[in-house]
Amino acid sequence: MKCTECSYEAGVSSFRYLYNARIDASMTLRQCPQCQAWLAVDELAGEARQRVTDGDAPWGKSAGIEGLARDVAR
Amino acid sequence: MVAEPARDGSVQELENKQEWWWVAEKKRSKRLDYLRKAVWKKGALGGNYAPGIKLDLECATLFTDMWNFWKYDPIMMRRAKAIAHVLDNKTIFITDHAQLVGYFGSLPHTIMWRVDGASMVNEEAYNEPGIMPEPEQESLEKVAKLNDYWAGQTAVDKVARILDPEDAVKFLSGAIGWGAPSSAYGYSGKDYEYLFAGKRGFEDIIEDIEAAIEKAEEKTVGVPGPEILDIYDRLQNWDAMILVLEAAMRHAKRYARLARTMAENFETDDKRKEELLRLARTCEQVPAKSPRNLQESFQYDHFVQMFARVEAHEGAWPARPDYYHGPYYDKDVNIDKTLTKEEALDLVGEFMIRAYEVGGFAPRWAREGLQGITGTWVWTLGGVNKDGTDACNDLTIAFLQAARLVRVSNPTFGFRWHPKVKDEVMRECFECIRHGLGYPSMRNDPLLVQNAMHWHGHPLEEARTWVHQACMSPCPTTKNGVQPMRMASATANCAKMVEYALHNGYDHVVGMQMGPQTGEASSFTDFEQLFQAWTTQMQWLTNLLVRTVNLGRYKDPEFFGRPFLSGISQRSVESGLDVVSPVGDRGNCWITAFTWVENIDSLAAVKKLVFDEKKYTMEQLITALKANWDGYEQMRLDFVNNAPKWGNDDDYVDDIMIRCLQATARHSHVMKCPSGNNWPILPENVSGNIHYASIVGALPNGRRCGDALYDGGISPGPGLDKKGPTAVLASCGKIDHIADGRAFLLNQRLSPTQLAGEKGYQLWKAYIRTWADLGLDHVQFNMVSDETLRAAQKDPEKYSEVIVRVAGYSAHFVDISRKTQDNIIQRTVQGI
Repeated sequence: MKCTECSYEAGVSSFRYLYNARIDASMTLRQCPQCQAWLAVDELAGEARQRVTDGDAPWGKSAGIEGLARDVAR
Repeated sequence: MVAEPARDGSVQELENKQEWWWVAEKKRSKRLDYLRKAVWKKGALGGNYAPGIKLDLECATLFTDMWNFWKYDPIMMRRAKAIAHVLDNKTIFITDHAQLVGYFGSLPHTIMWRVDGASMVNEEAYNEPGIMPEPEQESLEKVAKLNDYWAGQTAVDKVARILDPEDAVKFLSGAIGWGAPSSAYGYSGKDYEYLFAGKRGFEDIIEDIEAAIEKAEEKTVGVPGPEILDIYDRLQNWDAMILVLEAAMRHAKRYARLARTMAENFETDDKRKEELLRLARTCEQVPAKSPRNLQESFQYDHFVQMFARVEAHEGAWPARPDYYHGPYYDKDVNIDKTLTKEEALDLVGEFMIRAYEVGGFAPRWAREGLQGITGTWVWTLGGVNKDGTDACNDLTIAFLQAARLVRVSNPTFGFRWHPKVKDEVMRECFECIRHGLGYPSMRNDPLLVQNAMHWHGHPLEEARTWVHQACMSPCPTTKNGVQPMRMASATANCAKMVEYALHNGYDHVVGMQMGPQTGEASSFTDFEQLFQAWTTQMQWLTNLLVRTVNLGRYKDPEFFGRPFLSGISQRSVESGLDVVSPVGDRGNCWITAFTWVENIDSLAAVKKLVFDEKKYTMEQLITALKANWDGYEQMRLDFVNNAPKWGNDDDYVDDIMIRCLQATARHSHVMKCPSGNNWPILPENVSGNIHYASIVGALPNGRRCGDALYDGGISPGPGLDKKGPTAVLASCGKIDHIADGRAFLLNQRLSPTQLAGEKGYQLWKAYIRTWADLGLDHVQFNMVSDETLRAAQKDPEKYSEVIVRVAGYSAHFVDISRKTQDNIIQRTVQGI
């Protein structure tokens, strides 16, 4: 797997596992051992998708109606 | 007194944007605004103390000096003298604009250090970066000297020496539970019926004690016999109680003197001068005599809490302020009209802020498990009177209103809902939830009264006095019903039950044989074998924790001693026994069951995919778990998405929940506390689900080691309750909330947009009716959008006042770790 920030390359397990973003999805957070960036990783594909910074949620919104809430209100 | 607008926009505009924290700033009085902003935040940010927070060395040094000086005294007397020395000599202060006083540390930014509690904690204090007062080197030397003195003679050191060595090693591994089996740490219930309903000041109590001494001394000069021998110990205890109560009264009078000195010599503002003089009169009255008005009543209560905290590290704050202070509010505001509603609201708000200010040094596991707060100050509101009539009063409403103005994360409220609660009170509860406070939690009062009678045999009238002993557990405030000290070490990391059942009792995270060997799971041929292994592990784990607490409780009067707490408890005043002694305590124990639902979803997944559908073998599963699912992602997703999950009204998995609870409930009747009563479980988590994330191995519900565990109680896994709120309630309604356990925490997340306006209130009220009809005992809500929470992650300073419900407590969102934040955002937003 290649870090999207510093291009460090190693097996997925060499990137420090942090936690899952959602238990029911294959996206996890891992940390690059070289540049320490937090990465969103697709565990099925074994690929780093992007760097994750404060407030980022590449895995999308919470389950449930949150995404629809404004429509419900109307 | 209306505060200057702090942010652009009218209150209406800010309300429309649901930026409740700015609304609060605009609506509260200048006094509350000042007091709220002047208070030091003691809760740990993630796991670290905020910059500027310092360890209190003054009280620890004073205590140790006198403890050492009176080394030949019996323990209660020795402790009483050391506490008295602290109260007589510690630095005191009065915050500008304050009408209530009292802090257990010596300065507003200090955290109290329970130096006689545990050597392990003392070592952590020494090594904690950033908390040593300047000059740092000098402080470190002082701490080292204190640690050397206390090494081996703290309360926990003493208990640890007599624990079974194997129990001690396993307990101290940190894998299966937390807490300390000593009243040096824990949650002390207060005998409010004796103090407040009985209208007793400390002078009255001393009279009661002296009467008891006189009666006892008649025996010690009478006919000799074995029955008089323990009276000599009791006489010493009574003397210790008097000594510490007298010191407490002197301490209050120091505040009176300080307030009077400030008023007469330094204060130039006439209004503030009058306030200081009133404060002086207040502290001259209480705690020596019973209160005469609301301010005195609050002050009395606050003093009691502070004195108890000088004596021990109290991790909770059992209280029922509207019930016990309500008559004074009624007198001052409605009858005598000596206070306006606005003035009363200021006092109520300040009463909450003074509690928010309180913080003691806690070890890292406790800070991680209670991120953002210093203990679970869950105050009880509402409920019924002893005769069953509605106990809500004007002060109930004032507390709910003040909470929205001060927006503290501690104390929070648990509201005792019952069918006779008036609509105006329900609206106030809803407004707090709508404002994103995460509290009050809603508690089903009729059901919990029955629960208290079922598990611990409290008579109906006593059960009706119940308060939250910590986050959740109902406990009476009466002579025999009050639990003087709940030791938190009966807190079980329950996910280990299924983990050990799958690994023959071996813990691959700590690398040790922990539970009994219940067989290699790879050789199990049906679900019953796995369930039997789980039951054995459950019994082993709960037995070990309960043994530890029982021993700690039994030995505590010898190893620690609580002269102040004894002095305010009717049972001890009458008997002369340390209040922690089990004698006369009806018993009110519970096992806090952290990380419970992982068992259910894991067992269901194995049953479905291994034994029913035979899609995988046990061997494949164990191999994947040992690899922490690394290289098995497709299989992991199968275990998450194609196995039934709790919270979707699916009998397949719900039946397993009931089976596990009933097996545990049966065992709860077998295990007994030192009073001979039962040990039911109470599933809830605080933020233990984050603390244990790296301690619990991979599980068949699809989590890896490192992932947050579920948010606790009987709450479904975040994002796994896919069939809506009614299905969640239906699943939870299958549990017998009286016979299956002591209480069951349920987190729900609602949409702030959907629940806007009157329509929102009506929807929520209908939801609560369904919740009550289905017989659930607890529910609490987060009502803050993804959008706001993500924005708060990005720009924490702008959203520093956003509050969320973590588990049994609330915290400011920016004070909890990113992992905990993401765990909260993961929760399903239910449309109702």
